[in-house]
Amino acid sequence: MSTFREASHITTGKFVDPTPAPAEAAHPEVGATSAPLKSAAFFIGSYCKDYNEDFMLCKDENNDPAHCLKEGRKVTRCAMDLITKLRENCEKEWEAHYKCLEKHNQEYYACRKPERTFNECVFSKLKLEKVIPGASNTPIHLRENTIYN
Amino acid sequence: MPVPFEALIPLGLITGFFGVSGFFFQKLKTSINEGQPPRYGLDRWDRVMLDRDYRLTGTQRGQTHQTAAPSAFATSSAWNLEKEHL
Repeated sequence: MSTFREASHITTGKFVDPTPAPAEAAHPEVGATSAPLKSAAFFIGSYCKDYNEDFMLCKDENNDPAHCLKEGRKVTRCAMDLITKLRENCEKEWEAHYKCLEKHNQEYYACRKPERTFNECVFSKLKLEKVIPGASNTPIHLRENTIYN
Repeated sequence: MPVPFEALIPLGLITGFFGVSGFFFQKLKTSINEGQPPRYGLDRWDRVMLDRDYRLTGTQRGQTHQTAAPSAFATSSAWNLEKEHL
């Protein structure tokens, strides 16, 4: 097929899945939606760096979905671990930041104030810092005078 | 010369029509997106994430920060419904 389209939710009639159930039980998946994940993205990156790199190197060897299931499960578990920690410690700031992101097309530039409070909370409670790799001068999230704030 | 107030009537009408239609359009867009402005500039990543959000929350723009996905999430993907194209 030269074009690609996403899967369609429209069905005609009742659907019964003919494939047999998989041998092993379904593993837990991350339950956070896109805005909380985008808000916590840099912290997931630094907290789960080893597992993420492991997974990416494994995928680099062989792109088959069945090849890297174990590393994928480790990545999922690490992300879920961090989400639990964020819920315990910094839930309100996290919610404020991702609700702000949702109002602004999930763009970081528009929500620097809630981001600042969230980053401070995470740094004080969980000792994680947001680092933009390859930033030349002051990173954008630390600049004082920006246009949109 | 007195102010030509008759000329301001069509001006007021046009402004009013623009304003009313703009107001209702804004309300429509906001009600579809659950009180938020619509998303724009979406690429494949964003569309796939929006579909995942819909599967996790049940609404188009709902967000949640729960740790684990509900058990129905594992089987709610629409890819199983697609027929094979050979």
